[in-house]
Amino acid sequence: MYRYDEFDAQLVRERAEQFRGQVARRLSGDLTEDEFKPLRLMNGLYLQLHSYMLRIAIPYGTLSARQVRKLAHIARVYDRGYGHFTTRQNLQLHWAQLPKVPDMLVELAEVEMHCMQTSGNCVRNITADHFAGAAADEIEDPRILSEIVRQWSTLHPEFSFLPRKFKIAVSGSAADRAAILVHDIGIQIVRNTHGEIGYRVTVGGGLGRSPFIGHEVGSFVAKTDILAFLEAVMRVYNESGRRDNIHKARIKILVHQIGPEEMRRRVEREFAEIRKSGTLELPEAEIARIAAYFAPPRFEELADESVELEAATRKNAGFADWLKTNVHAHKMPGYAIATVSLKRIGDTPGDCSSDQMDALADLMEEFGQAEIRVTHEQNLVLPHLRKRDLFALWQKLVPLGLASSNHGLVTDIICCPGLDYCDLANARSINIAQNIAQRFADLERQHNLGELKIKISGCINACGHHHVGHIGILGVDRKGVENYQILLGGSGAEDASLGEILGPGFDSEGIVDAVENVVGTYERLRQSGERFLDTYRRVGPTPFKDRLYAR
Amino acid sequence: MLVEGHPSRMAFSNLPDGEALPQAGAIIVSLSRFTKEREALLARAEPVGVRLETGESPEALGADVQRLELIVLHVPYLKDGRAFSWARLLRTRLGYQGELRVSGHVLRDQIAFYARVGVDSFELPQAVPAAEVEAARSEISHVYQPSVDGQVTIRELRARRAPRS
Amino acid sequence: MMPHVLTANRLSVGEVVYWSGSKGWVSRLNEAEILPDDKAEAALKGAAEWVEKREVVAPYLFEVRILGGTAVPVKTREAIRAAGPSVRRDLGKQAD
Repeated sequence: MYRYDEFDAQLVRERAEQFRGQVARRLSGDLTEDEFKPLRLMNGLYLQLHSYMLRIAIPYGTLSARQVRKLAHIARVYDRGYGHFTTRQNLQLHWAQLPKVPDMLVELAEVEMHCMQTSGNCVRNITADHFAGAAADEIEDPRILSEIVRQWSTLHPEFSFLPRKFKIAVSGSAADRAAILVHDIGIQIVRNTHGEIGYRVTVGGGLGRSPFIGHEVGSFVAKTDILAFLEAVMRVYNESGRRDNIHKARIKILVHQIGPEEMRRRVEREFAEIRKSGTLELPEAEIARIAAYFAPPRFEELADESVELEAATRKNAGFADWLKTNVHAHKMPGYAIATVSLKRIGDTPGDCSSDQMDALADLMEEFGQAEIRVTHEQNLVLPHLRKRDLFALWQKLVPLGLASSNHGLVTDIICCPGLDYCDLANARSINIAQNIAQRFADLERQHNLGELKIKISGCINACGHHHVGHIGILGVDRKGVENYQILLGGSGAEDASLGEILGPGFDSEGIVDAVENVVGTYERLRQSGERFLDTYRRVGPTPFKDRLYAR
Repeated sequence: MLVEGHPSRMAFSNLPDGEALPQAGAIIVSLSRFTKEREALLARAEPVGVRLETGESPEALGADVQRLELIVLHVPYLKDGRAFSWARLLRTRLGYQGELRVSGHVLRDQIAFYARVGVDSFELPQAVPAAEVEAARSEISHVYQPSVDGQVTIRELRARRAPRS
Repeated sequence: MMPHVLTANRLSVGEVVYWSGSKGWVSRLNEAEILPDDKAEAALKGAAEWVEKREVVAPYLFEVRILGGTAVPVKTREAIRAAGPSVRRDLGKQAD
C-alpha cells in the first residue's frame, strides 16, 4: 500500500498544526462558529447529537495493521472504545471533544493518517473497490489511480470551496464494487480495442434528496490525461454549480439542468485547454512510481485445492456456512478473499470496538495480511488469505463476534447512524436494522434467500444508500412519529438502478413486518436462480404493493 | 477597509454605479458600468479597475483585461469559492497581469489558496497583521498541484531529490 | 402553546446542555428551567451572550410536556439527546 514520503508526512503534520491553530482561534473567539464550521468540516469534525464526531479518512478503504492498532488506541483513549465504518470507507468516532482533536490528528499523522476533506465542500475521500489487487476480474488495481487523485485533490487551491461536497469513486473491473455510478464522478478502468488501459468517466451520479445515475462524459480518457479531465469537470462545477440552494448544489443538479450533452461539451472545452497547457499531464513514470506501492504481495505457489480447507469444511458446518458467503475467489490459486462481517445480529452495523480492532491487527500479522479493507457496505475484507489458513482464521473470528456468515445476505444490512447519533436524522435506523436482522436470524433461511441487500437511511441525505438497496428503507418524521418508507429494486453495482417507493410508510414495528412480507412475496414468486433483485425486476412492484397494501 | 499583501501602486477608490465619473483619480467600477461606459473609462488618463461580483465571470472582460490595472473579485461569503476559479482564469487564459485583489468575506485560512491562484492583495473588513498573513501563507509548506503561482510541486521535489533506496 | 426548554451544546466538549436559569447550563434535562410561552423567546435571546462567551453553540428551544412534574421532550430527537443513543444504553447521559 501507499507509504508516505517526507512530503506527504510533513503535509499532514502541518495540517494538524494548522487545525490546532484554528481550534485555538475558535476557543479564543477570533473565529465565530459560522467561520469555524467550514474549517472544522474540512477536517472531518461535525457537531452531532451528543458530541463532536470525527471522521477519519481511510483512502480507498485500505489500512495496515499498524494503522488499525492506532485507530483502536485513539478510539480507546479519546473516544468510547469503538468506531463506526461508513459507506464511504471512512471511520467515525462519535464522542470527540474539540480541544483534544488536534492531538488526535497528531497521533493519526504518526501512522500516515488524517481527517482532511472527509467533510466540507471539497473533494472527499476517494473510494475504490475493496477487492482491489485480489479480484480475478480486475483490469488494474483501482487504488493506483485513487492515490494519484487523492494527492491531486488534497488542499487543491481552486476547489476547496465548491458549491457542495464532491465524491469520487474508482472501479478496476467491469463489475462495480465501488458504486461508481452513484458518485459525483465515477471512474471505471477499461481497455480499448487496442488493449490500452484508460478510464471511462461518469459525472452527476448521487443519492440524497435527488438521486441520479451518473452520465458518461468521457468514454476513454487516456491515463496521461485523467487529471486534466478531472480538473475540467471540477472547474465547470465550481464555476457553474448552484450556490443559492443547498439542496440544489451538487453537480448532479447541474448535469440535470443543462443536460449531459452540454455538460460533456463544457468539460471537453475546458479539458482541451488544460491539456494544451500541459500542466496536468500525468507522466508514465509517475503512474509507475505510484503503482509500485500497490504491487501485489509475494504470493506462494500453491495448488488451488487445499486439503486442509476441504477437511475443515466437511467437519465443521459453521465454517462451511461461512465459506459459502464470506469467502470469495482470488486471482491466485490457493488464495481467497474473506469478508469479516461487522453485522453480527443485534450489533450496530459497521461498528467495531477497539478490542476487535486490536485483535484484527493481530490476525493480519498472523495470517500475513499486510492490509485490511473497509467496504462501502460497512464490512471489512482480508484480501490475500491462503485457503489453508481460512479455518484457523475463522476459528479466531468467531469469539470476536466477527464471523457472521451473512455477507450479502438479508442480515448484512447497510445502515447509517441515524437519529441515535446524527444531528441531521429524522428517524432512528440502527434499531430497525437490528430488528430486521433478528427477524431473519435463521441462517438457513438467510442462505435460502440468497443475495438481498437492505440499506437503511435515517434521513433523506441517504448516508445509508437506501436508494441503491434491493430493499431500501428511508426513515422520516411523520407528524412527530418515526415512519419508514420502503423502496424496492435499487442497485449500486454496474447494473445501477434507483429504488422505487412502494407506498405509504410504516411505523417502527410495522416496517419489520412489511419487510418480512416483501421477502415472503419474493419467495413466493421467484424462479430458479433469481435473486430478490432479479425477481423484482421481472415482476415489478405490483405484487409487492398488493401484499403490503391491498385489503 | 485595509489592504494587505502587496500594496497597490496607487490608491484606487470605489465609484458607486450612480455617481458621475470624477475628473481625476484611479477608480474601480462595477462590471456593468464598465460594459456600459467602456470607451470613456479606458480613455481616462488614470488607471481604471473593475470589480466583479462572484457570479460574474472574467470572460465578460475578455481582452480588456490587458487594459486594466486592478481587478477586484468581491466575495460575499467565505463559502462561495468561485473567485478561486475566476482568479485562475484571469491569470491563465485571459493573461491578466495587473493587480488582482479579493475583497469581502475572506478567512486568513483561505489566503494561501487565493495566493496560489494568483491573487495579489486582499481588502478585508478587519485588518489582519502582516505577520499573520505571512504565517497563513506558509502554514502548509508543500503543495501537490501545480498552480498559477508556480510553486514547485511535491512531484517536482520528489524528482529533484536523490532516488530513495 | 407548550412549554419549552432551552438547549445547546457545550462548545469545547460538545456535550448537550440545558439552560437551568440560576445554575446556568446543566447536563441533566430534569434540572432545566421549564419556560412558559412568554419567557421562552427571551431565554433564547439571552443565550446569545453565552455563545459570544464561547460557552455554548447552537442554542435552540424545544417543546416539552410536563408529566409528573418533569419535563419530557415532545420529539424523539430531544429524548435521545437527553439520554444517549437508544441502541447503546451504556453510552451517553443515561449511563452517567
